[in-house]
Order: sequence, then structure tokens, then C-alpha cells
Amino acid sequence: MNGQQPNHSSTRSYSCPYCGGVSDGTGLSCPSCGSPIDVRHIVSPAAWAKVAGQKDMARFDFGKSSCQIEGSYVPVADVKLAQGDGVYFAHHVLLWMEPNVKVSAMSLKGAFKRMLAGMPVVMTQAEGPGRIAFSRDAPGELLALPLQKGETVDVREHLFVMATHSIAYDWFSTNIWYKVRIREGNETKTETVYPLGMMMDRFTAPETPGLLMIHASGDVFVRTLQPGQTILIKPTALLFKDSSVQAQMHFEHPSQSYSFLSGWTQRYIWLRLSGPGRVAIMSAFEPVEHESAQITGCSPATERKW
Amino acid sequence: MSDVTQGGPPPAAGPVERIQCQWCQGQNEKTALSCRLCGAPLDVRNLVSDSGWREAPRLKDMTEIHFGQSTCQAEGEIVPVAELALHQGEAVYFEHHVMLWKEESVPLTTLQLQGGFKRLLAGMPFIVSVATGPGRIAFSRDATGELVVLPLHPGMELDVREHAFLLASYSVGYSFVRIKGLYNVLFGGQGMFMDRFVTQQAQGLLILHGYGNVFERTLKQGESILVEPGAFLYKDSAVTMEVQRQQLTSGLFGGFGMSLAKMTGPGRVGIQSMYVHHNTGD
Repeated sequence: MNGQQPNHSSTRSYSCPYCGGVSDGTGLSCPSCGSPIDVRHIVSPAAWAKVAGQKDMARFDFGKSSCQIEGSYVPVADVKLAQGDGVYFAHHVLLWMEPNVKVSAMSLKGAFKRMLAGMPVVMTQAEGPGRIAFSRDAPGELLALPLQKGETVDVREHLFVMATHSIAYDWFSTNIWYKVRIREGNETKTETVYPLGMMMDRFTAPETPGLLMIHASGDVFVRTLQPGQTILIKPTALLFKDSSVQAQMHFEHPSQSYSFLSGWTQRYIWLRLSGPGRVAIMSAFEPVEHESAQITGCSPATERKW
Repeated sequence: MSDVTQGGPPPAAGPVERIQCQWCQGQNEKTALSCRLCGAPLDVRNLVSDSGWREAPRLKDMTEIHFGQSTCQAEGEIVPVAELALHQGEAVYFEHHVMLWKEESVPLTTLQLQGGFKRLLAGMPFIVSVATGPGRIAFSRDATGELVVLPLHPGMELDVREHAFLLASYSVGYSFVRIKGLYNVLFGGQGMFMDRFVTQQAQGLLILHGYGNVFERTLKQGESILVEPGAFLYKDSAVTMEVQRQQLTSGLFGGFGMSLAKMTGPGRVGIQSMYVHHNTGD
């Protein structure tokens, strides 16, 4: 993913710029994540690298199983599960499956909190042998994130497509919120807004490598932040980040927008990300809810700048 | 996509080479770049996944399709438009909400439908409009997706998810079939009816719009596949569809029902990769 990652020794080896996976470079796509081999690294002057989506019908392996990416507008992950291999997923991404695939429920801890947060309470798991396919109902990219042993990534809620059984799933409170005062008819009420969602998904490969697939709306751009380096992004554009990257909400008030009568009339809401680690954003994102309403409170993880 | 075959009566100058379209089986001139009947590119390989799903051919921008003496041009790629140049006396029918623009000279009438009250109750269009040539008229649907061009050979019957059809030539018979079984209606995610298109003696053209990408698979006799009901787009009428509900539970809070449509061959099944989940609302 980092275009500057070191090449791995042998002259015949190819280091995938997307996932870092090493192969002999003779195939059409990376055997670990399906990204095209020899794809030009499109890096903007601001260091964002556009993630090249998998070519139509790209195929890659994980464990004894394999996955084929089909389509381009709303791509499908067509997984061929080998005997004994399994994946888990949120049931609403299931597109089709062969009748012999065994499907069951996988319980999650903290079900009540998840229910309150609007997250799926039950994950579904599928075991091979057989074929099963997934897609999400929005135009965009399917990203395959192979996780090496000990690697952890945090993914924005509802973007998860599927993960292999070797990947542990957890979730945590984002602690990114603010309160606004809004008027509805004759009533004034206070509402809490979570621009990242109440929870974020966390995926770890504790013992063995595994595969995580997520779906992004629009195009995907990724960059690696150095230790202490920061970047401000639109909160709803965040796709995933390494767990080492810290997130903080940030209000910016342009100094020209102050008036004695109405106070600060203009304000921008940002998410500040601090390195080290990778961050990825997607180009199609929803507006921040109640962005222009009067803010009455915010999470401690917030900085204001005038 | 191309498959060069030799066929037809050999003229004195030698055999005539034809390219058979792998999507609609239409015969094309050797020099053709796209199928004249369905617009599928003839110069690219057939994209079939390992599991047997074939991608609907991605129509190149400005591809021209012929039906009768009229033509259809596919314009754009993300939300494609079907622009028709209707010949004198030739007609197409469509649901009025997919009409994008037309020349003033093109007259619009309505198709007489049976069972209007049932259609009204089922939320299906009460009136299907008809445009008659000469003149130009264009259609598109309000989402990212693909035009699926299905030339219907004589004697074919195709069932299509309601509201998914963009237009059909007048030679194609239109009716609707009630989805059997209350369970299938409640959990099938498709409402009470499916559109049915039938050709008798004449060839016809049917154009659908699928959300996202569209894939087709041909099921053998007795072969089954489980499909998310919202993803179903079309099927040959010989393919049966039965909704199965699986209750998955775990712990005190865990538990949900998942409905899947069991499609059983023989025949073609078409699915779309972007869909609405009727059960969960997301």
C-alpha cells in the first residue's frame, strides 16, 4: 500500500505496492490481494496513492481457498472455500451461495451495546467446501487486506465484507462525538452526532495470517503517516487505519467568520489522524450530520482552533 | 467473446465467415466489432468466473444495436442511456418513469393491460406506454448499472423482476405472473408479481437495467443455487424459484432470519450485484 516500501531482496521478487506481499511478479495479479501486477503507482503530490482496484476476474488465494473478483461498478467477491476453511460476514452482504455451503451464526460479545449502536449483533459464518459470493449495495471498490501475524487494522463500521476465521474480530467505541441543538417545529432538542459511528471494527491476525475484505464507496486513496505526522480528513471519508494511528475530532473556525451578534458563524468539522501508520479514505462519503447546527458539547478527544 | 465459425451455404467465392455472439448467439459479419443484435463486443474474450457466472457484456459507449429496421444506441457507461431511432411503424413499450427524452414527433400511446386492479394493488405500473416511430426516444434508469440486452428468439419465455425492464419491442408479448406462495411473496423481496415476456413467431428485443454489475448463469436440469432475493434480475420461465428462510440464532440477543431464493434449473438465471435488502431495510 505504501509505494515506498522496500523491495524484498531477490531480483526476481515483486513486492506488491498495495499489500506488501512478495511474489515472483510473473502473474497478472498479486497472489495475496489480487491487485494488478506492475500497476503504475499513481501518487499525488500530497502523497495519497490511489489504490488500483482488482481487474475484473482477478483471482487470489488464501489458505487452501481462493477468491475471484467479478465486475467493476459493484464488484462481487466470489469465494471458493476449501474443506475446513471458513469465513465470517454480516449477513446483508451475501449475494449467492451453493446449497452445500454450511452457514451458521457466530455470536459476538457485547451484543446489547452493538444493538444500541446499530451494528450487527450476529455475524454469519460459512464453512467449505463450496462457493459463496458477497457484494455490497454501492458502487465502489472491494479491498482485500491480507493481515500478517500480529497486524491490526481499524475499519469504519458497516464497510466490512468478510474475513477468514484466522482473523479475530473486535470493536471499540470511537469516542468521536459532538452534541448539537436543533429545532424541530416549535421544539428545541439536543442530539448527539457520531461522525465515525459509535463503534469501529477492529481486525487482528493473532496467530496466523488471514484475509480481510472491505468495501469502499467510490475510489480509495491511501497514505502512510510518519510518527507524529498528522492529516485532517472529512470524518465520514475514513475507510480504515492501522490501529497505531490515533483519531481526534477537530473544529476549525475561520477567524473572519466571527460576529459579535451571532458568534462564530462558520465552522469546519475534521478528523485529525496522527501517525505512525496507514490511513485510507474513500471518495464517495456522506455529509457529516448536522454539520452546521449549534454545537453544545463534544468528546474530550476534540481540539478547537480559532 | 468471439468465436469464428463457418456456416451457411457456401457461395461460389468460398465459405462465408460469421462471428457468433456468445451472449445472444446472433450471427455477425466477419468484420463486425460488436454484435448487431445485442451490442456485445465481439473482440474480447468471454468473461466467465470459475463458478460459472458470465458477466453481461459491457457495452462500449455508442454501440449500435439493430432490431427490425430500427436501431438502439447505448450511450454512456456508468448510468447508460438506450437511445432508439424508431423506424416508421415500429414501436417499443416501457414504463413511463424510465423515459429520458424524445423528439416531439414521436407519438405516445398506452398498452392495454389485463388485471389492472391487481397491478395497482401490487404497486406495479398501471399503464405501460408505447412509442411508435418514426423518431428518436431515449431511456435510462436512475442508478449506476448496466444495460442488459436480451434479443428474444421465437418461442422464448423470460421472467423479469418488476420495474427492472427498460423497454421491449412491440413484437414481444407482455404479461405478468403472480409469485406463488404467500411465503415467497412476503420474504422474496420482489412483491407479488414478476413481468413475463414471451415471443411467439417473431424475434424481439428486450432491454433490462441491472443495478451494479449483471451476471448470468445457466443451470442444468435439477441444479440449484441459492441467491439473495434482492439480487434476482431475470430467469427463464422454466427455472423455478422458492424462497427459503433460515433462522440463525446465537445467545440472548443474537438471532435473525435470512431469506434466500432457491433457483432450480434448467435455464438461465440473471443477478445484479447491487440490490436492496427488503428484510433489513439497509
